[in-house]
Amino acid sequence: MNCADVRLNLRDHQEGRLPPTTEDALQAHLVTCPDCAHVAAVDQELTDVLERRLPQHPASFALKRRLAAGWPVATPRRAGWRAWRPGHLAVTLAAAVLLALPLVYYERAALRDAGERRAMVAEAVNDHLRLLSSPQPLPIESGGLHQVKPWFEGRLDFAPVVGFEGDAEFPLKGGATGYFHDRKAAVFVYTRRLHPISLFVFRAEGLRWPASDGAASTTDERGFTVVLWRRGGLGYALVSDVDRRELSALADRLHMGGPDMAPQRSPRPGKPGARLGITRTLLR
Amino acid sequence: MSAVANEALAYVDALHNLARHLTGNPEDAEDLVQETYARALRAERQFTPGTNLKAWLFRILRNTFVSTYRRRRRDPTVGGLDTVDEVPGALDQAWLRNDFELDRLRKVVAEEIEAALMTLSEDARTVILLDLEGLSEVEVGQVLGCPVGTVKSRLSRARAALRLKLRDYAR
Repeated sequence: MNCADVRLNLRDHQEGRLPPTTEDALQAHLVTCPDCAHVAAVDQELTDVLERRLPQHPASFALKRRLAAGWPVATPRRAGWRAWRPGHLAVTLAAAVLLALPLVYYERAALRDAGERRAMVAEAVNDHLRLLSSPQPLPIESGGLHQVKPWFEGRLDFAPVVGFEGDAEFPLKGGATGYFHDRKAAVFVYTRRLHPISLFVFRAEGLRWPASDGAASTTDERGFTVVLWRRGGLGYALVSDVDRRELSALADRLHMGGPDMAPQRSPRPGKPGARLGITRTLLR
Repeated sequence: MSAVANEALAYVDALHNLARHLTGNPEDAEDLVQETYARALRAERQFTPGTNLKAWLFRILRNTFVSTYRRRRRDPTVGGLDTVDEVPGALDQAWLRNDFELDRLRKVVAEEIEAALMTLSEDARTVILLDLEGLSEVEVGQVLGCPVGTVKSRLSRARAALRLKLRDYAR
């Protein structure tokens, strides 16, 4: 062993990590080499100085808390995993299922509601098209609302409440009985220029309404516009391919016409659309 | 994760000590340790259970430090002097023959030791501190990513450089 080998192995020599033969060779060299003996002595002193006097900088408690908070530590239970698993796994799973059930329920309910609302809109358009394609779309031609409304008596199990009898912009063309979704409906047909506009009136219960009672909801479907609202136990669906603004104007008149269609909340009664927020909704 | 996390947090003092000696200030040391644990958390799946977690964490800390300081090295005030390869053997030996200087070494104070250590290169400080931390040469090799033989030579040169620095403080 030469001097370079000795210097290289001094730490292992201090720590007793050298194989016996190497250790013997190193010690033999130190006996015969004063320079290496001094280096070994000073290096041992260096180790002592470092171990005893080199300042130590442990982590602060604040850092430890931050790390513990940032790196979640589970309670030690790895050793008991086999014993824990059969008994508690079922409980954990059951708890997870119980926790997840409301979420799943509400998510499914929300999806179901959205699906039913889309179905209502689609049904309104279908019923509108079905009426227009029928051989006799209007069994009762309009001579005015006072003629059309009595025609429904005996044909429906409810009395349709419609207060707007038509005007120059939206003349009432007539009425018919039809179906909306799964129930019978009174159909009032208005026109705007050459565009027919169907107003379906039907019993409101049992349907997923998109808005609260009295409020309207407007949706576009396949090029048609559908306005849905309900009031006093009756549901209303206004369907046409006219411009949304024009359909909004008719919706406003339908709400304003007739004493039984008095507004429930009307901050500015004289303003069209203010009664039920129809204009706001339609123009959205 | 729990087993790794539990054990990892047990090494925070040792990691912080190395970080403090590498960075030279408490703020950077805390940042370095936090970043080390953050990286360890992200790379937890890469750790093989049953292997040396302490060495793995030191390796992450060292790599984090190197990658961070690599960007800072344009600033000449950051980083120590790499004197590992500048050990004049004849001078070293002459000083060692002087028992009076050996006695002075025994009397250096903590601040002088720390100051001398900080003048060494980052690699020299790292290998000295990992050795002091009790890591074996194999483990130090895992941290530094080099074979045991390289660890031995680096450690020998680093300690020789530190002895030279302490000689100046001991005068």
